This record gives sequence, C-alpha cells and structure tokens, in this order.
Amino acid sequence: MKLKDIRCESCGHVNPPGTQLCQSCGKMIDNDYDKDKIKDLMRYDGSAVRSKTRSKSIFDKIWIFFTSIKVGVSIILAIAVAAAIGTIFPQEYFIPMGVDPAEHYQENYGSLGYLYYSLGFHNLYSSWWFLILNGMLALSIIAASIDRGIPLFKSLRNQRVKKHSTFFRRQRLSAMDEDAGKVDKLVDGLAKKRYKVREEDGNYLLEKGRLSRYGPYINHTGLILLLLGSMLRFFPGMYVDETLYINEGETEEIPTTEGQYYIKNEKFTIDTYEKGDGEVFQKALAEGSSVISNFQTDITFYENKSADIVGSAPDLEAIDESSIQVNHPYRFGSYEVYQSSYDNSQMKSMTFRLEDSSGNTVGDNFTVNLENPESTFPITEDINVNMRAYSPDFLEVAENGTLISETPVPRNPAFVFEVADGNDSELSLLQIMNSTDITEDNEYSVRFVGAEEHIATVLTVKKDHTIPLIATGFVIFLIGLAIGSYINHRRIWIRTDDGLLMAAHTNKNYFGMKKELNEVLASSGMEPVSDKLDVAQTDKDEE
Amino acid sequence: MKKSTRNVLRVSIIVLITLLIGITLWFNLTSGTKTVNVGDQATDFKLSTLEGETIQLSELTAEKGVILNFWGTWCKPCREEMPDMNDFYIDGHEDYEIVAVNVGENQQQIRQFISGLEAELQFPIALDSEKSVTDAYNIGPLPTTIAVNKDGVVVKKQEYQLNHEDIASFIEASIE
Repeated sequence: MKLKDIRCESCGHVNPPGTQLCQSCGKMIDNDYDKDKIKDLMRYDGSAVRSKTRSKSIFDKIWIFFTSIKVGVSIILAIAVAAAIGTIFPQEYFIPMGVDPAEHYQENYGSLGYLYYSLGFHNLYSSWWFLILNGMLALSIIAASIDRGIPLFKSLRNQRVKKHSTFFRRQRLSAMDEDAGKVDKLVDGLAKKRYKVREEDGNYLLEKGRLSRYGPYINHTGLILLLLGSMLRFFPGMYVDETLYINEGETEEIPTTEGQYYIKNEKFTIDTYEKGDGEVFQKALAEGSSVISNFQTDITFYENKSADIVGSAPDLEAIDESSIQVNHPYRFGSYEVYQSSYDNSQMKSMTFRLEDSSGNTVGDNFTVNLENPESTFPITEDINVNMRAYSPDFLEVAENGTLISETPVPRNPAFVFEVADGNDSELSLLQIMNSTDITEDNEYSVRFVGAEEHIATVLTVKKDHTIPLIATGFVIFLIGLAIGSYINHRRIWIRTDDGLLMAAHTNKNYFGMKKELNEVLASSGMEPVSDKLDVAQTDKDEE
Repeated sequence: MKKSTRNVLRVSIIVLITLLIGITLWFNLTSGTKTVNVGDQATDFKLSTLEGETIQLSELTAEKGVILNFWGTWCKPCREEMPDMNDFYIDGHEDYEIVAVNVGENQQQIRQFISGLEAELQFPIALDSEKSVTDAYNIGPLPTTIAVNKDGVVVKKQEYQLNHEDIASFIEASIE
C-alpha cells in the first residue's frame, strides 16, 4: 500500500501521511484519531510518527522494528532481568584467584551454577549477548528519538498562529467572552507571565517552555553517551582494572604497561585501633576483636630503562617512593594504584633446631628459605646441617631417594637433612609433623621450630579514559530529566473573529496552568477557564 | 527531511551500531588470553640457563629449528618425557635445538630434579624465574612443547606428554 500525502480540507496545507492533526491549522485529519481522548490528543502535536508510515527495504524494516516502544521496553526489561540474574551467584571477579571458574561454579552451586557459568552470567557485563542487548538498546533509543523527535520539532517550529475552530473545541482548557475587546488586556497579562506572543489578523498564539518537549531527547542523548562510554571500556588502552600481588621485598611489573613500570613492595603494614583510641570502636575492642585502622604499602616506583625483549632482566631506575593506603592511591600517568587487600597464606621460611640424643638443643637454630633454600647450615663449629632434598608440596620419595612434589607451592614442605659432625653423617626425612630416620640409630634429630609467612600486598591497578564521557553523559541525562520534568510547555490560542475564543494546552501540570490563567482572566474581567475533565466529572456525578 | 536523506540516515545509523557492536565483541573476545597458536610469530625472548649462559630465541632460530619445552620439576609427565628427548638430542642435533624452559622454580629444585634422573640431560635448561616468557607464550598446562622454525614461526604445539613419535615429528616440524 502506498501512502499519500494528505491535503488539509480546511487550509490546504500538505501534511505527510499518518498525520493526525493538520500541522498548519490544527484541524483533525484522521477522524478516527483519539475520538474520546482529551489527554493524549496533542502527543507529538498530532504529527505523523514517521516509522508508522513507510516500510520498504530491509533497513526500513529493522529501523521500524526498533522504533517501537514495545520493543524498546522489552530490551530494557531483558537487560534488567539479566542484571538481576547476574547477582544470584557471584561474578567471576569475586571468586578466588587462580581457580578454574568452570569447576568453581559447578562445585559450589551445582548444575545450576554450571549453567550460570556456561551462559556467561559469571561475567555478565562482558558476555557477548549482554553487549548485543546494549547495542540494541542504543539503536532503539536513537531510532525512536529520531522518528518522534524530528516530526515534533518540525511541527512545533512550523506551527501557525491561526487554528481551526474545531481545534479550539477539542482542547481541554477553554474560555469564552462575547467582548472581543478584552483581548488586549488578556494578552498583556499573559505576556507579563513571560509568554511569547505571536499575532496574525486578530489571532494569537502565546507560548512558553517549549524546551520541555525536548527533555526526553536531551535525556536520550545522555544515555547514548553513557552507552558509548561503557562500550569504549572494551577498547584497548581505554580501561584497565588489574590485580597486582607483591610479596614484601619483591618487585613486580605493573600489568598493561608493557614492562615499562615496576613496583616494589618495600613494606606492608596493618595498624589496628587500640583501647583508648577514641570512642567509636570501643565496643568491638572490648569484645576482643581487632579493628583495622590502616592498610599501607610502602612502595618504590621504577621505570625500566631498557625496554628489552621478554625474559631479559629489566634495567630499573627508581623514580618515586610513596605509601599507598586505602582510598589514597599512587598515581602515575593515567594510572592509579589502589590498596586492595593482603595475603599471608603463603609460607616463606621454616626454622629448625638440632637436638642431640639426650634432648638438648645443639647450637643455633637455622632457617630454610622455602623459595630459594641454601644447601648448608652451620650449627656449631663442628656440626653442619646439609639439605640433601626438599620438596615444597611433598608427595612421595622417588626410587632414587629424591623427594617428589605435587605442586611447586610450599604447602606441605618435606626435607631430607644430613647432619655432619666431621666424623659421620646421618640422614633424616622431615615433614612438618613427622620425622623419620633414614640412617639407623641417629644421634641427632632435627626439630621443627616455626614457620614464617610471606606478607603480600594486593593492589589494584586502574586506568579509565571513559570517565569524562560517562560523567558528561550522566550530567546530560540528568539535565534532560530535569527539563522534561520541571518545565511546562504551555500554549494559548486566541481567536477574535466571533467574540473572544481562547483554548489552552500544557504538556503537564494542568492545575498550575489553570491557576495562572484564572489569575490573568480575572484581572481582564473574564470568567475562569472551563476544564473538560471537570465538566466530564460533574456530568458523571450528576448521573 | 527528504526521503533520500532519511534513508541515508537510517542505513548509516544501523550500519554504524552494528559495526560498533562487532568491534566491541571482537575486542572483548580477543583481549586477555592470547594463546600462542600454530602459524603465529614466536615472541623473541632472552633467558639465562642453568649453566649461566644466555640464550636468545632469535639467535637460535637464525641457524636452527627450535623446540621449546616448558616444564616443572613437580610435573610427572615432564619427568617422563625428558629422558626421551635427551635420547633424540644425543643422536644428533645439528639441525635443531631443544630448550627446556623451567617455569619459575629455583636452582636447588632444578638441580635436585636433574640429579634424580638417570639420564644426563644434554640440552640447555633455561630459567624463566619471573615466568615472563611463560606468560608471554600464555602457557597453560605443563608440559607444553612448541616447535619454532627458522623463520621464527610456531609450527607445532602440544599440551601433554610427548612420546617417541611426537618428539620425532616435533624435530621434523622445526627443521622444515
């Protein structure tokens, strides 16, 4: 079906197909349009919503699909439901580091958890279908805004002063007076209320607050910027959120800086509140729990002067020293390094002592560094302890006598120590809780004294170039919302050819407009406005 | 607005948004874990060996094919495949080189491991103590073996224990 332009029978203006009220004189073109409606009659000022008129190519079909409010609302609903489901189980960045997510969700949450994982809910905001949903939302917002906003803009810009008498009858608010001479006083009074006045041959159009009608479109512009900003987070170099784990005394490369920058954890401190440090935590402290007042990592910041190939030792030059505390990040370039947490679960070293057959300690204690152990530990001038074998995570003793480890992590260290006192040597296998003599009738035994843990700081490395865009989008969004909500678009039409005929329209707050009008009408010596809704209500009450 | 302007606007907005979704998805899927695959250019690296020498991949590939074997002392299949690789290596390695890259362990552990083997390992053992090469190659399970040809291109990759035929085919792939 080919739709034709519509010529207004009354004034001859040619309107685009689908128009409900003539753009020029406001006479009703589609007689079936809003017969019983008073409220929605003026939506988009009766102009044709463009997508409801033509449908031809595949692009037109896609476009029209996305202009539909129903489709838009469905997309928003889908996003909301997905986001809600995404909170049922923790997102991937909350599960422990280094575990296989597939196993983690299966083990902790059963097959429902596995389904959750396979559908990508564990990484909701970067799952492919969530990105597509957001893209569709953007298209829906843009298409719907263009299709409604442009015709609205045109019809508001092109509106004529003179309107057909039927247009007056259809407006909710109207007033009449037999004396057309009162018009000057009325228009004067309204102009003082900051209405812009246009006059043509005794016809008047008074208007204010037109900006209100563009509120939703300003708001949508903000939303599009927000979506654009969140999209840019996926672009390389725009957004970084990485975890950096550094043992005390160690130096690590800062991720995503291509080996250019390094951070050394000089010292990690936890301070707790003590009794007498003010009132706030006294109750908790009295109950015996400790309240942490400060996490702090003292760092040295290095730049790598020889950005050489992978594996070669970096040539570090100290650039800066700083202390990172919670909410007080270290900044360099566009990066920020935040204090996130700490870890002391990794074993660093173990200390032993040597005991003779009568149970007396011989010489000094000795400490084995589990990451890079020494091979000989002098105990006294005559006695040495040699480490013959070490396994960080003891599994079994191999056929040839060496120790076999299950993993490289020092979780269950085992050692074969040789005690040599110049004349003989004897061997023993030692685990934390267990020691076995390898040679017979040992004179000495090595006893476990204690273990020391690594104190590692956990830092978060952040960079976000999308913040300006997202902030701008959000401000525009709020401005649009405020404009749409708090400004009223008020229009008043007046004819003076047969007495004084006045009609008024506002897009919101009829109560406020009536109040404003009645004030001016009273001072012009006219009756208050009649409101169709009040009349209808009175009719109903009388029935 | 004219009909043609309207059509151009519609088509360009739809195409633009589709394109942006596509680019975003592509960035999203390719970011993070970039595993090394057959056909990729092998990242050059420089590591010191257990003997205290320095080896650089590009220098080796200039003359020979190179087989990179990523391993750990605690990994059982590594322990089993090493003597087999050594047998091949002893039979002649004029055309290829084997580099056994140890993933982040200390020398005590490595020496203990070697002394526990019956075979005397002849090929160089590179120490990736900071795991920087392992990260650059995004090595998952151990052992992982990668063959690099003279052009510096990855020609073969296997993420489990090598048997005799595997070792032979790795050598062949690196030479070609």
